[in-house]
Amino acid sequence: MSHLKISLLIGSLVLIALASLAIGAADITVGQVIYTLSDGGQFDFIINQYRLPRLLLAIGVGAGLGLSGILVQGVIRTPLASPDLMGISAGAGLAATSLLLLYPDAPLYMLPICALLGGLSAAAIIFLIVFKSNPTPIKLALIGIAISAFLSSGIDFLMVLNPIEINTAMVWLTGSLWGRNWQQVPYIWGALAVMLPFSFWLAWRLDILGLGDESATSLGVTPSKIQFMALLSAVILASISVSVCGTISFVGLLAPHLARMLFGHNHKLLIVGSALLGALMVLISDLIARGAQPPVELPAGVLTSLIGAPYFIFLLRRYKGW
Amino acid sequence: MTHMPYFFRNALIWLFLISALIIGFAVSLIAWSTFPLHIEHLQQYFLFENQNSIEQQILSTIRTPRALAGVVIGMNLAVAGVLMQGLTRNALASPSVLGINAGAACAIALSSVGFAVLSDLPSIMVAAIGGIVSGALVMFLGGFLSTRPHPLKLILAGIAINALFIGITRACLILADDTAFSVINWLAGSLSNLDWQHWHNLWPASVIGWVLAMYIARSLNLLTLGNDTAVGLGLNISMTRYITCAAIVLLTASSVAIAGPIGFVGMLVPHIAKRLVGHNFFVLLPASALLGAALIVWADVLSRAIAFPAETPVGIITALIGTPCFVLLAIKSKSF
Repeated sequence: MSHLKISLLIGSLVLIALASLAIGAADITVGQVIYTLSDGGQFDFIINQYRLPRLLLAIGVGAGLGLSGILVQGVIRTPLASPDLMGISAGAGLAATSLLLLYPDAPLYMLPICALLGGLSAAAIIFLIVFKSNPTPIKLALIGIAISAFLSSGIDFLMVLNPIEINTAMVWLTGSLWGRNWQQVPYIWGALAVMLPFSFWLAWRLDILGLGDESATSLGVTPSKIQFMALLSAVILASISVSVCGTISFVGLLAPHLARMLFGHNHKLLIVGSALLGALMVLISDLIARGAQPPVELPAGVLTSLIGAPYFIFLLRRYKGW
Repeated sequence: MTHMPYFFRNALIWLFLISALIIGFAVSLIAWSTFPLHIEHLQQYFLFENQNSIEQQILSTIRTPRALAGVVIGMNLAVAGVLMQGLTRNALASPSVLGINAGAACAIALSSVGFAVLSDLPSIMVAAIGGIVSGALVMFLGGFLSTRPHPLKLILAGIAINALFIGITRACLILADDTAFSVINWLAGSLSNLDWQHWHNLWPASVIGWVLAMYIARSLNLLTLGNDTAVGLGLNISMTRYITCAAIVLLTASSVAIAGPIGFVGMLVPHIAKRLVGHNFFVLLPASALLGAALIVWADVLSRAIAFPAETPVGIITALIGTPCFVLLAIKSKSF
């Protein structure tokens, strides 16, 4: 049954990917898209240089955020834990924005590294607070959101100090795939290529953590070690995704929840499902963002927050642990 | 400060608040101008000397309306914050946290895009409509009307509604207009480019809001004893709620319509004011108003100084000051 669901998800991902190659400011039919992908031709530039890298980035970023979300929730077992609600995305975004605006000549490979440092510091602040005051899950969410707000007002501040084009500003304020190209593709897919197998390695260990610390220890798993590794990989994935396309919000919160609804509690399936669902969400948001009123572009992050905010409210109304 | 006589301490606090405001106001009139202004010019301005000089013209047409609007907006946001925290009895409540700022800003963005009826109304009314809609949504979704409202639920509902309205605002700004950069400035909350026309739109609604706030102060004092006790003492709770909400909407809408959503003043100021003058709303409201005005005026000076000669929106300054305080309050607060 779950294999059928996964195949269905992959199938719809492929279909929407094809559609997203065809839809946009220039009208191109699906037949022409397939022809161009194999043989080039008059639409070569639009498809192969513009839409294809963007498609790959949308899938990569979505998968990265979804994966990051499921790892965070596997460790911090509350429905409100996610990389963006905990300030990790905003930290990575602030670091990336500062690098771009203060050192515009820095080489491109510095961007993910810098974002990673930002994400790690934001995570460190959060965990310092958790360590010091041991808040309830819901309070942790609140503190994370506040830190997130603080870091994004830092991004705001940098944007205003260095006026740049509105689309670039939107990339860093709300997350958008505008103006991305092949250059960024290796970073996010490289990160995924390392982190996806590693997450599988973590999968059954996270399942065991769910049994409680004592059972986990007696089964030969050191909880603190696994938790640390899972969180570290979550921070890495989220930060690199953010360094590619800015702070796309709510994907890291929604994808794990939907995956849980579809696949239950087995982390092996959850990891695949969450990555696929995240990829679908970002892909569809980017498709709508480009296709709604071409050639004007909405930031994809606006669409994810239009879907994500109501879902967050739904979660709140259902949450019983007050 | 137990060794200091009560009256003396109080007088000192009020003196401090008033002088912080007056000094801030004066500094804000002359400091960090791209055209050099000095204290003599300020003196001449107040003595009506030399009225045709270029310095006097700058002071009277650019600087004064901006500083005055800053004072009134600071008062509005602080008073709205006090009212909200009194009404919800929630330490983190404020117009920005509960999504009212975002709703008002969203309505204004929709109206500037030309959305339906909204474009024909004056901007304060548009902002008020947006504020009422988002405020009602937050109250409803956050379970404020249930028998045992949970304080954090209200705050998180506010944050979610905030994200939703900011999303809509950004979407319609980009779809409608390519020259959105000025609007990004406005969305961050900015006092630049205010003139006397804005001032004339601002003060009437604000004065009505302050009068309502002082009128409702006694009822809010009763409400701090708890709903049941307040009813037992003869308080009409639903009436109190309506009037308080009306005052909050008036105060917030008028400031957002003029200067954009300036966050965290409404959350921060009431806490400081409570420490200074205690919990009696009759004293708390004016003290918060003074403190809020001083905060905005000084933040405005800072916003000009920090990247001179460029201007930083004052909302970013208040957010940079306010959020760490928010985190501290959230960590320390015992009620969740």
